Amino acid sequence: MIEDTHVGLAHGNGGRLMRALIDEVFARHLADPALDTNADAVSIALPDGEIVVTTDGFTVQPLSFPGGDIGALAVHGTVNDLAVSGARPLYLTLAALIEEGLEISFLDRIVASLAAASRAAGVRVVAGDTKVVPRGQGGGLYLALTGIGVRPVDRRLGLGTIGTGDAVLVSGPVGDHGIAVMLAREAFGLSGDVESDAASVLPLTEAAGAVAGLRFMRDPTRGGLATVAHEIATGTGKIVELDEAAIPIRGTTRSVCDMLGYDPFYLACEGRVVAVVAPESAEAVLASWRALPQGGEAAIVGRIGGAADEGFARVVLRTRIGGARNLPELESDPLPRIC
Amino acid sequence: MSVAADTEARTWLDRIRALPAGPSVAIMNVCGGHERSLSMLGLRAILPGHVRIIPGPGCPVCVCPEEDLADAITLAMTGDVTLVAFGDMLRVPINAPKGEIASLAAARAAGADVRPIASPQEAVAIARAAPARPVVFFVAGFETTTAPVAAMLAEGVPDNISLLLAARLTWPAVAMLLEAEDNALDALVAPGHVATVMGAEEWRFVAELHRLPVAVAGFSAESLLAAIYSVLRQKQEGMAFLDNCYPELVRPQGNPTARHLLDEVMEVTDAAWRGIGIIPRSGFALRGPWREYDARLRHPVTAPPRRRQGEMPPGCDCARVVLGKVQPDQCRLYGRACTPHRPVGPCMVSDEGACHIWWQAGVRPH
Ligand code: SF4
Repeated sequence: MIEDTHVGLAHGNGGRLMRALIDEVFARHLADPALDTNADAVSIALPDGEIVVTTDGFTVQPLSFPGGDIGALAVHGTVNDLAVSGARPLYLTLAALIEEGLEISFLDRIVASLAAASRAAGVRVVAGDTKVVPRGQGGGLYLALTGIGVRPVDRRLGLGTIGTGDAVLVSGPVGDHGIAVMLAREAFGLSGDVESDAASVLPLTEAAGAVAGLRFMRDPTRGGLATVAHEIATGTGKIVELDEAAIPIRGTTRSVCDMLGYDPFYLACEGRVVAVVAPESAEAVLASWRALPQGGEAAIVGRIGGAADEGFARVVLRTRIGGARNLPELESDPLPRIC
Repeated sequence: MSVAADTEARTWLDRIRALPAGPSVAIMNVCGGHERSLSMLGLRAILPGHVRIIPGPGCPVCVCPEEDLADAITLAMTGDVTLVAFGDMLRVPINAPKGEIASLAAARAAGADVRPIASPQEAVAIARAAPARPVVFFVAGFETTTAPVAAMLAEGVPDNISLLLAARLTWPAVAMLLEAEDNALDALVAPGHVATVMGAEEWRFVAELHRLPVAVAGFSAESLLAAIYSVLRQKQEGMAFLDNCYPELVRPQGNPTARHLLDEVMEVTDAAWRGIGIIPRSGFALRGPWREYDARLRHPVTAPPRRRQGEMPPGCDCARVVLGKVQPDQCRLYGRACTPHRPVGPCMVSDEGACHIWWQAGVRPH
């Protein structure tokens, strides 16, 4: 039984209190036959295919924000990294670094949300660890997850497959996560009705993966759409052309950006996919996305141009009135600790 | 920003493109907001080849005298005052000897009570919150900043506030450029934001005295393109008049109340522009009874003499950028030694500085 209302250092010292915290908070929500809380390691079964692994740390502030919290965000962030590589995510491991003083009822909500997100994404949390750090030495709660997935061997995605003329697609409005987290910090005296887009992108990546001609996918998290575009430009040596008028952005996100001088193209998304697709397959991927609840506002937002001169990677923005300029690489993130 | 506005902008663009190509036309804008819109819209890439848009004196922070800034830093470092300034000003460097405090931001880091503000009201609020503590408001700005500051004084401010004034007028710099022998400008897009306060009529001299087309514009794409079309068309027809392409907000005489308050509180004086020198009747000073709010009288502190006093930092071409003599990316340091992360000159610091704007709009050194 947990008697305390707040996490104390004793909840991390390996004794009875730690056992209670793990059993009643973590194991209770994450209930899984493979999750043996007494074992040091577990074995997992994997179907045929290429095994794909990713790992990610989560330090978002605040821990809970409109449209999500650190628990669900951690699952989505990890699952999405696997999904955009073309894999089906199967297993997660979880390390929770808890700051002394965190309310146990709050931790319970976060773990419940994490468990719900992993169930919805069809992944199982099979191993975990908790540590408690002294007050003042952590931001309430940090999570570190490793994800394991399997990719069909015939699914060849990557920057190397991209060619001039390919289409660039995005699965929905950009920048919502960045703005939602920022508004939740209330540092600007603004409030808005923007919710984070945090979600598993697996339905999107599976739908796109079923279309021949899919070349590359990425989830535009930190640094947003512009940063993914730069990654493509750098990786291919080609000019990436984006069409400002075609890029979906919610009205509220745009007004908050206008007000604070942010560029929505650089703001983080947590539930979107950017895909590069052969020109003849672009409409098919678009249609498959638009048929999904989270892809209703998907759009073709650009194309891959010719080779950039002298290896000077470039993203060119075709502006909404037809002008053109370079979309520069992000200098420094205006919104740190967004994921 | 709306679909209708974008359509209107495209219509103006089509009209500009339909004009017959002629000899090169150099159009200057004198407003950081204009330059930002033009650059972010990527307009230079799609205007006809013979049309050149040149950023001119549109950044008050860029031309704030180095001496005034040095005095502000010295004053802040005495520890006896709270110094407030618009955020842009904090990172502008003076020509301090190596290892010494070279900006208000550095002074703040060294413990001085320097605070960035976004409006005159914030300065008043800071002064009210600590009535026993002298607050010096360092004001660098054009008419659009100076008018609200004058209104603030006229409305009544706490006794502990005083002003270190480095405010400037826009049109005298343009007049100086147009009077110069080597002037190669063909037309002017006049600053709508300034004109909302001071009136469109203030720019009539460009057409009448210098026989150059001039059009007042707002920040929007459609207003800017309408103004560019207007001056190109005037040029083509051999005409020169004052056109107002921002009539929604700009009246011929501007805002009479704001002008009245400005006139009541301040007088116009000759003033120094950093790296440029004295421009006649281009600065503001407190008038008569308002001089009791002059920080220079309340806190007579002068920075020690420095090498390159009053000039731009070594190697920095800001002064010529401000005058439209060179483009930001023609400066040797642009994007190399000088970036917004490590700015060398004020044009790379201020949001209204052409170097900063070009960098943000993706212009990289070749
Ligand atoms: S690039 Fe830097 S050094 Fe050069 S003119 Fe601009 S601000 Fe000055």
